[in-house]
Amino acid sequence: MANLVLEKLSKSFGAVEVIPGLDLQIEDGEFVVFVGPSGCGKSTLLRLIAGLEEATAGDIRIAGESVISVPAADRGVAMVFQSYALYPHMTVRQNLSFGLENIRMPKDEIARRVEAAAKMLQIEELLERRPKELSGGQRQRVAIGRAITRNPKIFLFDEPLSNLDAELRVLMRVEITKLHERLGNTMIYVTHDQIEAMTMADKIVVLRKGVIEQVGAPLELYNHPRNLFVAGFIGSPRMNFLNGAITRVSEAGLSFQSPHLPPFTLPARPGPLRAGATVTLGVRPEHFTLSENGTGWPLTVSVSEQHGSNSYLHCATPDGTPVLIHEAGQSRVARGDVLHAEPREGHWHLFDAAGLRVPLGN
Amino acid sequence: MRAAATFSGAFTALVALPARAIEPVMRGAQKILGIKRMPWVFLFPNLAAVLFFSLLPVFINIFYSATGSDRLYPADRPYVGAANYETLFECGSYLDPSTCSRDLFWRALGNTLIFVPVQVAAMIGIALFTAICLNRDIRGRGFFRGIFFFPVMLSPVVVALTWQWILQRNGALNGLLTALGLTPVNWLVFPNSAFFWSVFVTVWAHMGFFTIILLAGLQSIPRDVYEAAKMDAANPWRVFTRITLPMLKPTLLVVFILCVIRSVQTFDELYVLTGGGPGSATILIVQYIYEIGFAIQPRNFGLAAAASLLLGAVLLVFTLIQLRLARGKSYD
Repeated sequence: MANLVLEKLSKSFGAVEVIPGLDLQIEDGEFVVFVGPSGCGKSTLLRLIAGLEEATAGDIRIAGESVISVPAADRGVAMVFQSYALYPHMTVRQNLSFGLENIRMPKDEIARRVEAAAKMLQIEELLERRPKELSGGQRQRVAIGRAITRNPKIFLFDEPLSNLDAELRVLMRVEITKLHERLGNTMIYVTHDQIEAMTMADKIVVLRKGVIEQVGAPLELYNHPRNLFVAGFIGSPRMNFLNGAITRVSEAGLSFQSPHLPPFTLPARPGPLRAGATVTLGVRPEHFTLSENGTGWPLTVSVSEQHGSNSYLHCATPDGTPVLIHEAGQSRVARGDVLHAEPREGHWHLFDAAGLRVPLGN
Repeated sequence: MRAAATFSGAFTALVALPARAIEPVMRGAQKILGIKRMPWVFLFPNLAAVLFFSLLPVFINIFYSATGSDRLYPADRPYVGAANYETLFECGSYLDPSTCSRDLFWRALGNTLIFVPVQVAAMIGIALFTAICLNRDIRGRGFFRGIFFFPVMLSPVVVALTWQWILQRNGALNGLLTALGLTPVNWLVFPNSAFFWSVFVTVWAHMGFFTIILLAGLQSIPRDVYEAAKMDAANPWRVFTRITLPMLKPTLLVVFILCVIRSVQTFDELYVLTGGGPGSATILIVQYIYEIGFAIQPRNFGLAAAASLLLGAVLLVFTLIQLRLARGKSYD
């Protein structure tokens, strides 16, 4: 069992507190993605787990044992760096075996492991080359291979795909996912790309300013974001937000009123909200219904993006709040058109003045 | 607007008009030489400078080495063939400088052959150590970098006089030793200690220069490579020998070449500090060449020229070896 437990883990650089006391449990064999905007502390958190940064307080336990004062190399973790960090003067084979030589592993065992990793990553014919003779994707494989040969309990990936072009990134995404299935190790993956997070993770940890905003399976986060931040961060294109107020609470539901828009009734249990409460309504671009009969919100189209298989209609409410609508297939809507749209029933998200999700019972 | 007008006026006066003036000349030259030879016309000013100030002196030197007498003007100097070289190489036994007719040449050569490897090794070793220390996150790093670089800015004569003041019989060092109740030593009077201080002072004076180059080399090694090595369980010695040194190799090679050439050229500091003494214990080849050619009467230009050509030949061979070794040393 190589589960990972972070307990009240905190890290400050001088007077700047990057991670103010964080608790997290990661189960054995899970693929966990830390996601968040730049500067949210996700890389620092990964480096704390790796042992490249010293924690200010708190504890890190791997497989039940505290590793907080264990050197990086002895924690049983291996890291794949954003820049690959290959040794430029060594061949691929030497890059893969350097760490094993350092722990005085027998030569035949080193050779066996290097061959096995090279075979798994299909870099066997590159073993005698130096990093400068490799393409970006090949360097990436070598960096992953270097982690594999050490047979770690936990793999750490620090934005490993950010230096690759878009096409290769999709390819490597699939390969890393397959690698996880084959090896079955615990993997922790840091990215700012929420698509990588959605597609690869068993569990996503959304971070902001060193604080965990929400932990959960990708679709759980997508369908039930706990607050405005997660709602806005997970999902691409991002969720639409309309500010407004609850004007009436009745048995029929809540009446939501946004400036310059006709009132809209959310047929939901009243919950804790009272009339007059300031709220934000969140609707994902694909959760709008366009009405033919002129009911619903009037939205003026400013740009109609045709992707072929999908259409994205960039609209604005009468007071200028941007609203993005996704339509499957090809849309006939053009710039300047006025649409009438309504959120599809059951697919709205309501947040209170503090930005927290209001349970609607839907 | 006014600035633009001034500029255009200046441009016309300084560039456009002269260019227009020499245009017929250039056209004429092109007609005579043909367009393929025209680049030589443009190269001529620089080539002339190199020929006149670098190559010509070499040939003058060769001429002097093949002529005799103490007369300065070439026309007054009789041709003596290889006599100067023969004089330098005239020895009873090559293992014993005192059997040579020019024993000082061989002593200076011998001193240089010991001085250069010792000084270069000490210089690079200490400069590398200093650079590694200064590359760490230590308090007052900028201050220490300044301190180590400071002597490089001093004139060699100032360096020598400063250390003479420290090392002489009534100098600062002996004052300190006396104050501590120790016996003062006459540092520059004994051959071995004079040699040691010669190396010490020249290393002190030039080390900062090489430290800065090595520091730049160290800083070009990415931090995450060190972090990868840390994750790879490399101990500090393995990190130094397997990561730092190999990745610093191109920089080290440049430093090595510069250091050897400077070391062989060592003259002014030691000339002022020890004057080559005691006896001939610290005389180096360049000092010998200077003395035989200009300081000792009668001035033997021929012998000095011959000795300097021999030195040049040795340096040329050394540089060629270095260039061969330096070929293809880039990792990116």
